[in-house]
Amino acid sequence: MKWLLFGLTLLAVCVFGLAVGQQWINPFDASGQDAVILWELRLPRLLTAFAVGGLLALAGAWFQVLLGNPLAEPYVLGVAGSASAGAVSGLMLMPDSAWVMSIGAFIGAWVGIVCVMFFSHLGANRMLLAGVVLAAFWSAVLALLLALLPEQGLFRAFSWMMGDLSHSDLPVSLLLLAWVVALVCGLLLSRSLDVLLLGERHAEALGIDVKRLRQRLLLLASAVTALAVTAAGTIGFVGLVIPHLMRLLFGSLHRAVLPASAIGGGVLLMLADSAARTVIAPAELPVGILTAIIGVPVFLFLLLRRPT
Amino acid sequence: MSALLELEQIAVERGGSAVISDLSCSIHAGEITVVLGPNGAGKSSLLLAMAGLIPVTGRLELNGKILETYARAELSRQVAWQGSLPPTEFGLTVKQRLALAAADPAIDVEITATEMDVAALLSRPLGELSSGERQRVELAALMLRDTPVWLLDEPTAHLDLKHQIHCITMLKQQAEAGRAIVTVLHDIQQAMAIADFVILVDGKCAEGQGGTAYGEAADLLNSATLSELFDAPVVEQGDVLIADYGVTRE
Repeated sequence: MKWLLFGLTLLAVCVFGLAVGQQWINPFDASGQDAVILWELRLPRLLTAFAVGGLLALAGAWFQVLLGNPLAEPYVLGVAGSASAGAVSGLMLMPDSAWVMSIGAFIGAWVGIVCVMFFSHLGANRMLLAGVVLAAFWSAVLALLLALLPEQGLFRAFSWMMGDLSHSDLPVSLLLLAWVVALVCGLLLSRSLDVLLLGERHAEALGIDVKRLRQRLLLLASAVTALAVTAAGTIGFVGLVIPHLMRLLFGSLHRAVLPASAIGGGVLLMLADSAARTVIAPAELPVGILTAIIGVPVFLFLLLRRPT
Repeated sequence: MSALLELEQIAVERGGSAVISDLSCSIHAGEITVVLGPNGAGKSSLLLAMAGLIPVTGRLELNGKILETYARAELSRQVAWQGSLPPTEFGLTVKQRLALAAADPAIDVEITATEMDVAALLSRPLGELSSGERQRVELAALMLRDTPVWLLDEPTAHLDLKHQIHCITMLKQQAEAGRAIVTVLHDIQQAMAIADFVILVDGKCAEGQGGTAYGEAADLLNSATLSELFDAPVVEQGDVLIADYGVTRE
């Protein structure tokens, strides 16, 4: 029943996301100019939002288990910071290029991942500490770059840093393929992830090669984060809260949490992006602001309803 | 009868300093070996080493094969370890926790839960339970591990008297059924009730004196040895050994 409602919500949000915008278009009766707007502008953007939201939520669920910390999220180990520094570096070097921020972000994200991989052999707590310190380092680098960035580039940089789906350079098909691959990989690891919830010692005693699992998980979660950041900048909140929300709704086992997060993250970002391009149309709000404005009350409401 | 676990001149380190040195012993099917010693002496580290969860120097064999050469999954089919209570942050329920312990997903965890008096807790998240209830869940999880060797770190910790007795009885039954059990205990009377063999760990290994002792329970469980081990008075009262608290009821 829960899954049915979840599926219906997904469908409803898809239809809503297609219909709303600067002008209301009925997706079931669109022709001419409206059909072009609907299928060539709104649909790709909606699917991008779905894939990016799903990838962020998956990465969040993985980082939370990997680090044994429910406060972990995709950006906790500094990958977003290094990606942002990369994106702004690109903007400084080639301010007029359309792709330069995405390319810079992708390179920056992987520089951040390589840095984190040096600490993957440490236990969860020390790795988290290393990641937080690295994140602080990348924030400082980013602040330095922003201070040096010419004024005309600042708006583009800030807009990207707060999450922006309007200029996504990555093909939608690539993002959707990544969504599917990430979810399948996650499901293949789901039993091991469940066992890891018992802590590393218990997981090892139950036959899991924890060191190898942690490396795989770190690489997978980081790669997914890098792709999401490259596509849409840094969009907070989705990766932190959606996995928790899905655990409240579907329980703790990953064969349910992962598909629910992949879909739930997509739904939240589709909703937020629909609002972002509508609220102050024809201008747009950064979508990262709206993910928090929509998601926080929903999450707190569910938290309060659940018995302690 | 050949030993399931064979330890020969074992040394274990914790935090860079030796906690166990020069320990040799054999663990056989159907026997209970109790590990005794003061806090911080290295009892838990010894169990972790026997479970292959921390490195060890010396010769440690399981079924005649060096323990380190076992793949993690194969080792888990031979040795079960019950240690610290697992974290509760992610909302696992008792039923889910037990299902994760079961080697065979087809096993009905409810039967074991009933046997171990946790059936009423099955749908509750671990985080809502008391420490004693969580300990009972861990014992039920151990029951689902049908391995020849069980390693238990203070299985009666947090338990009320009824469940302490239940736990001790269950360990005795499991040993009689052929399982090899090594368990850390703090209660001398519990140790006397079930120990066939005893490993004493005095925690003075790093100081270059003392270390470990291994032998039959009948030889080592006496007031003089335990008083020295714990640096506390242990007296004989009839057939049992008890701690002398030095106070009496008026």
